[in-house]
Amino acid sequence: MKAMFIIAIKEFQLAMRSVSTYIVFTLFLVISGLIFSNLLFKIALAELRFLFEVIHVIFLFYIPAITMGSIAKERQNGTLELLSTLPIKLSSIVWGKILAAMLQLKTMIALSLVFFGIIIVFGEGIDYGTIICGYIGLVLAGMAYVSIGVFASSIPSNQILAFVLALLISGVFYVLKFLMPMVPYSVVGPIQYLSFDFHLTSFLKGVIDSRDILFFIAVTVVFALLAEFNLQSRNMMQER
Amino acid sequence: MISIKKLSRSFGEIKAVDEISFNIADKEIMGFLGPNGAGKTTTLRMLVGYLQPNSGTIELDGESIFDDPIKASSQIGYLPEQNPLYDDMSVAEALAYIAALRGMKHDIFVQRRNFVVQNCGLKEVLHQRIGTLSKGYRQRTGLAQAILHDPRILILDEPTSGLDPNQIMEIRELIRTLGREKMVILSSHIMQEVQALCDRVVIINKGKIIVDDRKDNLPNYLKNSSYLNLEVQGEAIDFSEFILQHPGIEMDIVSQNETNCIVNIYDTTELDLRQELAKFISQKGWLILELAVIKKSLESIFHELTGENTETNELPVLEEQP
Repeated sequence: MKAMFIIAIKEFQLAMRSVSTYIVFTLFLVISGLIFSNLLFKIALAELRFLFEVIHVIFLFYIPAITMGSIAKERQNGTLELLSTLPIKLSSIVWGKILAAMLQLKTMIALSLVFFGIIIVFGEGIDYGTIICGYIGLVLAGMAYVSIGVFASSIPSNQILAFVLALLISGVFYVLKFLMPMVPYSVVGPIQYLSFDFHLTSFLKGVIDSRDILFFIAVTVVFALLAEFNLQSRNMMQER
Repeated sequence: MISIKKLSRSFGEIKAVDEISFNIADKEIMGFLGPNGAGKTTTLRMLVGYLQPNSGTIELDGESIFDDPIKASSQIGYLPEQNPLYDDMSVAEALAYIAALRGMKHDIFVQRRNFVVQNCGLKEVLHQRIGTLSKGYRQRTGLAQAILHDPRILILDEPTSGLDPNQIMEIRELIRTLGREKMVILSSHIMQEVQALCDRVVIINKGKIIVDDRKDNLPNYLKNSSYLNLEVQGEAIDFSEFILQHPGIEMDIVSQNETNCIVNIYDTTELDLRQELAKFISQKGWLILELAVIKKSLESIFHELTGENTETNELPVLEEQP
């Protein structure tokens, strides 16, 4: 448990030292700022719902990018051998990595509070509840994506491959919503239930449903367990 | 005490380690020798719990290390072969990180850090990024990480690779000091190192243990552990008479011309031939230019014990690995 926080803090500190982190933060602010100001100035819309949907798409690329190195890089450098021979549990490694990526993600989400601030200052009749709900939804969905990313990173020792893999798995969960009109009626329910967008949308509408919270937590836990299993079995399969 | 029984591990078709058994006592420095690809690293990785064996047991004080891997790994200090380090961190940060993960208390950590920084000679580079360090300093950092928590058991996989001769001396001295209180398993393919440091030697080849004995007993594994090297000057040099008088000796002529002859004399009876030989030569009126007893080094023992098998048994082809 303690080891998890030590790993998370170390990872986060190292990430915050790297220039690329700031470049990505800047890029994020530029893209979301363009979209936000477009909506604000063109149709004078004092809400963040569309922005949140854009952030969801950004997640698809941003999260695999911050998680791709989490385990793959350690495997590549051989430091995974060092880490897994320390008296800590493998689950501490996995959750530490998830936590570190979450900290980075939350920092990025926190940056978008700028737009919230602008709306508060200049907007009228703002639905604070909905926006706060939206933020909660984003963090939860982000957590699930992070877990997928860490799982993807636990498979290959190549970071680019880990990125592609994470993008693919996250992509599947994302594009499910576009599949809906094409599938038979009987499977719409289950497919809809697996779609991240479906669960996130209710948050964006301002509804906090325990089932949605549970869904994201379940996805996070499942992929974290898969990652842990992967570490364990890879230990057994290790090449010489 | 660590006792290993019938430990096996394969990678696909290849048996990297094949039913090996040995014990290591406390306060013993054990040299773990073998050519590249013999299964040294695989064995050590199983010892630290990084790899699961296919069969066999590893017991630390009578308890399997896989029952409670966390307890076992808290007693082990391990320096892996490639010496993986966190390049983005400074030496001080890396040490603090490892100490935190090992759950060391702050005051103990400060005390131990001072010890390892002093003994591994890391003072000048303490706040330098590991990625910018030279190979020697990297190796010392790895060693510092391994001994930081004052482990009972120290497992070092080729600890002096990449160091210059002075650094090798320093690190060896450190290992020797540590070996007075700890169990040290030192894997190496450098013979001088094992010769200089270890009490006991285990030689592994093709996944099997071929020698497990005290270092001093190793020459017994060879028929001709020592031989005489003789250089004689004289006319019509011929030793056939001498060989007839002493059955059981073999002579190998290294070079011979009209006035000069160099021979190696192998004696299977283990008698000291030097007196007889000197008398024989003086009777013939020749002159001894050189007479020396050559003892075979650990290196040649290693070469003879492992080299032969390499020829008969082809090395596994890497592509066959899954």
